[in-house]
Amino acid sequence: MAIDPEPIEPLACGRDAAQVWDHAVAGTLDEHERTCPHCRAAAADALGLDGVVHRFAAQRPTPPPTVLDAVLGSVRDLVAAELRPQDLIPLDSPEGPARLARPAAARVLRHLVDGMEGVRARSCRVGTTGVTMTVTARFGVDLASVTARVRQMVVAAAEQTLGLPVGRVDITVVDLWEEDPWRA
Amino acid sequence: MGRGTPVSDRYTSRPDLDDTTLVVRAREGDVGAFAQLAERHQAALYRVALRLLGNTADAEDALQDALLDAWRRLDRFRGDSAFSTWAYRIVTNRCLDLLRARRATVGLDAVEEPAAPDTTEHAAEVDAGLAAVGAALRTLPDDQRACFVLRELEGLGYTEIAQITGASETAVRGRIHRARTTLAGVLRAWR
Repeated sequence: MAIDPEPIEPLACGRDAAQVWDHAVAGTLDEHERTCPHCRAAAADALGLDGVVHRFAAQRPTPPPTVLDAVLGSVRDLVAAELRPQDLIPLDSPEGPARLARPAAARVLRHLVDGMEGVRARSCRVGTTGVTMTVTARFGVDLASVTARVRQMVVAAAEQTLGLPVGRVDITVVDLWEEDPWRA
Repeated sequence: MGRGTPVSDRYTSRPDLDDTTLVVRAREGDVGAFAQLAERHQAALYRVALRLLGNTADAEDALQDALLDAWRRLDRFRGDSAFSTWAYRIVTNRCLDLLRARRATVGLDAVEEPAAPDTTEHAAEVDAGLAAVGAALRTLPDDQRACFVLRELEGLGYTEIAQITGASETAVRGRIHRARTTLAGVLRAWR
């Protein structure tokens, strides 16, 4: 971007018009801006528009639920269509072939970890040799004991709930959170 | 909707997970995590679409396309910006594309006419000053309207708007100022 695109024309007194506008709205006009007729006119415009804009912004239209329903319907179709053979884990099943989708297995394991105290699952990949998981933990919890509990839970759940023997569980704590961390 | 929610989607049941966690999960194929993200941000994205496009039908279409696009492109979201910034960018670009296409098909004569506000929006514009500014907003150049809506109606900062629109901060500042000046002039004339 070589050229300054359409620079803002200063007020007749030389002040930056956009800055005077911001000062007026923020209530931080300086001595000159409060007394100069050009600045005062700009400030009056700013405050006039600001009132209307506030009422405009206060309108909070929301989309009908049909939009998200349609999106999620399409997303589920995409997911089903994109499931590759290597995403399916063969289960021990003498009566006939049974397979488990890896993302579904991962969701079950994340859900179990979410239910534990002081820890939340982030990434969870169920591979052929084991499970690789990243977690976030509450600031102050004993990380060694929390990861040990997660490992125990994952191994037990994989074997008992999913019928999936797990050799290796890699857990990485990737983030810590405090009291109310989820309101990003 | 005829289809029920798959049980697995309910495994993302915590309402308090942060966006980063939900993005990672969605990227790994967790539709429930994506549903939660979409639910969290859809109202803001819809407001932007409605204010850029001027009617609910187009805004709903733009939101739907943008969310589906977000799902498809999640792999390319690297977390350099907040998820919300990235999603605003997708919906804003979608709307600007739609407006360009609309101009190309409708022809130049109709472009100068502000789009008729639909009934829902009209009913909400309770006072005439608001209606005047709303109508004037629809006649602003698209790039000015986008910056103005993101700044004044969504409350975003110049840096974030620059990331969303792909323009420099200086350009964003200029567009917002021009939009403000035009709208203030309309309001002054109306009073």
